[in-house]
Amino acid sequence: MSILIGPMKLHLDGHKELTNHGEVKNIVAGKKVFIPLMACTDILVNAGDYVKAGTMIAKRNDHFTVPIFSSVSGKVLGIEELEHSTGRVIDHLVVENDGKYDFEKPFEPMDAETASVEELVNFMMNAGIVGCGGAGFPSYVKYRGAKGIHTLLINAVECEPYITADYRIIDNQVEDLLYGTKTMLKMSGAKEALIAIKKTKKDLIDKVREALKGQDQMKVTEVPDQYPMGWERTLIYEVFKKRYDKLPGEIGVIVNNATTAIAFSEALKYGRPIMEKICTISGDGLKSPSNVRVPVGVSVKDIVEQIGGYAGEEVRVIGGGPMMGRTQTTDDVVITTSSNAITVLKPDPVDTIACLRCGRCNDNCPAGILPVRINNAEEAGDVKLLAKLRADQCIECGMCTYVCPSKIEVTEGVRRGKALLRAAAQK
Amino acid sequence: MKFITKVSPNNRDKDHSTSGIMAELAVGLMVVFVFSMVFYFQEYGMEYVIHGVGLMATSIITALVTEVVFALATKRKVGYHIKYSYPLVTAIILTLTVPISTSFFALGVASFFAIFFGKLIFGGFGHNIFNPAGVGRMVIFSSLVGSTVADVTTGATPVSSMANAGWLIKDAAVTEKFLEQFGGLSNLLLGWYPGAMGETSALLIILVGIYLAYRKVLDWKVPVVYVGSVFIFTMIIALTNGVGLWYPMFHILSGGLMFGAVFMATDPVTNPTTISGRVIYAIGLAVLTVIIRLQSSLPDGVVYAILLMNMVSPLIDKLTDGWSIYSVKKYTVSIAVTFVVGLVLTFLAGNGLEPKAIEFPSEDGGLPVFSESTDNLPEVVEQTEDGAVVTFVMSAPGYYALEGGDNNTIEVKINKDTNTVESVAVLEANDTPGLGDRITDQGFLDQFTGITYDDQSASVDAVSGATVSSTSVAKAVRIAFEELNK
Repeated sequence: MSILIGPMKLHLDGHKELTNHGEVKNIVAGKKVFIPLMACTDILVNAGDYVKAGTMIAKRNDHFTVPIFSSVSGKVLGIEELEHSTGRVIDHLVVENDGKYDFEKPFEPMDAETASVEELVNFMMNAGIVGCGGAGFPSYVKYRGAKGIHTLLINAVECEPYITADYRIIDNQVEDLLYGTKTMLKMSGAKEALIAIKKTKKDLIDKVREALKGQDQMKVTEVPDQYPMGWERTLIYEVFKKRYDKLPGEIGVIVNNATTAIAFSEALKYGRPIMEKICTISGDGLKSPSNVRVPVGVSVKDIVEQIGGYAGEEVRVIGGGPMMGRTQTTDDVVITTSSNAITVLKPDPVDTIACLRCGRCNDNCPAGILPVRINNAEEAGDVKLLAKLRADQCIECGMCTYVCPSKIEVTEGVRRGKALLRAAAQK
Repeated sequence: MKFITKVSPNNRDKDHSTSGIMAELAVGLMVVFVFSMVFYFQEYGMEYVIHGVGLMATSIITALVTEVVFALATKRKVGYHIKYSYPLVTAIILTLTVPISTSFFALGVASFFAIFFGKLIFGGFGHNIFNPAGVGRMVIFSSLVGSTVADVTTGATPVSSMANAGWLIKDAAVTEKFLEQFGGLSNLLLGWYPGAMGETSALLIILVGIYLAYRKVLDWKVPVVYVGSVFIFTMIIALTNGVGLWYPMFHILSGGLMFGAVFMATDPVTNPTTISGRVIYAIGLAVLTVIIRLQSSLPDGVVYAILLMNMVSPLIDKLTDGWSIYSVKKYTVSIAVTFVVGLVLTFLAGNGLEPKAIEFPSEDGGLPVFSESTDNLPEVVEQTEDGAVVTFVMSAPGYYALEGGDNNTIEVKINKDTNTVESVAVLEANDTPGLGDRITDQGFLDQFTGITYDDQSASVDAVSGATVSSTSVAKAVRIAFEELNK
């Protein structure tokens, strides 16, 4: 962020007005729901078993523990391979929806006031609380053995264009946000919690500030409306003017998403795991962009049908926002526990021309690497140079492609460079 | 339904495209051109404007034809090729860097070289190593300086006059008189004086530059660091020579510096791609510009400095490679080292400067024939008579001779009955190629015919860019008259 490096962030047109103020529409699950099972998952039910909404049906069991719950009640039909929002084809557990939504608590609620930190961390693990910002990182890992933490940073930035889901959830559930944050603050051992909200969301800032009155250890911190302000490193640099090597814990900070805090609060209060999500489904490829409340495992096709359909015969269905989300080959892709948006856009073909070496990608790269140089090195197959240029640091935020005036897929070039580097390292 | 897939992101900056950047740049350049045409219309008349517009048309048409022929020859789609090759900007910049006296022929050739050898040969737009317009300008500098139009001549430019003065004037009175010929520093800023068509009005160029920087068409750091460094370097030279603030001001306001800094040095294709790289690049430009101005026989160093630094761009890119957030120290040190080295080099270049004698033009802007100067007087080598006509063969020191070269040999024929010049000819031109040797222009020499000894206020227009050599011819005529009327 020095003048010699460039701004490393940029204001983008948010298109948030499309879904900002409309009702949150309830989406009804279809006949079948498909619960995605990531790799290394033990399946706890058999085909033919009857499950309730809330029944634990699987458990991720590698270096992390993440239980997975059914979002509807009905009969387990079996396993099916389907495209996931990450673009990979993975196993999905198919549950036949009986439409009753019989709920059983998979775990008992817990009083955060009286529980010990260890109990709370275990509770968080068993409740399957994962980061709701998009990546789905298990939250308990951040608190297990947390030491020397001075600040808990609650990320309510929501910097991807089109997405307003977090805004709507926080607006609806300020009390849950505070309860979740307060509990996480206790677990982290930090002195204060900062809730980062974009400067431009004045009404939300006022609402949260109002609710925070008398709570000295929790504060709102305003951040500029720039992309990717919601990325951990950008946000931490903005708030603390510090950089870190691998994890924010190194500089005494834990970052969690605001909706994660809200989900945690619901789990604590009612014994409810993440079974449904509020998602933004927006973009010019839809007749009526909306925020929707949708059970996990419901396909994009079902959602689009229930909100009025596509606006054209050819669309790009993107799992997530337009910057980082992947285009899907089908709308059978389902909502997962970490989904927050589906963006549907009309095709927008561009003429790609020669790089004019303007350096905009370099100046704006949030990771502080040099995308145009990485693209050149990748074309030349120069692995040594790719390593020097730290291609591995790319988070594929899409900024370099966004700013490129010659309309080159710069991010894709860096992605290839990163893959080349990884392949060379494995040799 | 059809689901289109493509790699992420699926979001593009709609406000900035390469075509948009080039279009805004072209408009900015045309503003500068229009100002220039207004100046020539007011001060010289319509025929100058017609010639200026003709030059612009020649450059643009040549560039377009070159692109079309290239596209056809290489079997590309002509429309698509032209749309994304941006010949217009190159052609306009080239036109703005040449004096209005340039011939259509010279500019046409330069425009072809700029497009073909400056850009297309390297693989087209985005792949060229050198600034294409700079390449075209260099072609004119090196081989077509003499190709000018006699009817469209202007007085000497500030930079060429300063070059003739040895890039240093110490005497305060002389300084004032020198600057006054161009309307003082304030007029150098405003640009109401002849020069290369687009390069005169520093103020207008700055204003257009600020707008283009605001529109993100160009990176403001390059012109600011470039011009700022030239100012600092020449300020040091001024201080060590006991010269005032006018000296660095003259450096940044005259010649092609401001134009080159805003419109040519910022060409992204030939720039390094990182901010720190561009800062180093801009300092390098400043160093070369100052050194070329002070120590070479070229009148102005900007275009050459840009072409030379273009070659260094890839190396600078290599230097700044790495993870930028953890390279700030490296960047800072590199920039500081470049600046200090530049400071030393320009200081050394400025250290050996000696002011030279200056010949001022007469009131009407011309060169007085019957001056009182006693410097560098020509000598009579041979005197013969044929009836009423007396022929003097003179050995006259031109600009090149002052630099240590040979004198020019000039023949002056005077009718002793009427005391009038019959003709002046250059028998042997040993002057600087492309500059001093342009005194052989018949248009220049014909001005002497008919001058009589009785009219002591007679004057001629000097060959632009060759004031010293022009003066030596005028002196030869004066000495011949004095010899005859002894």
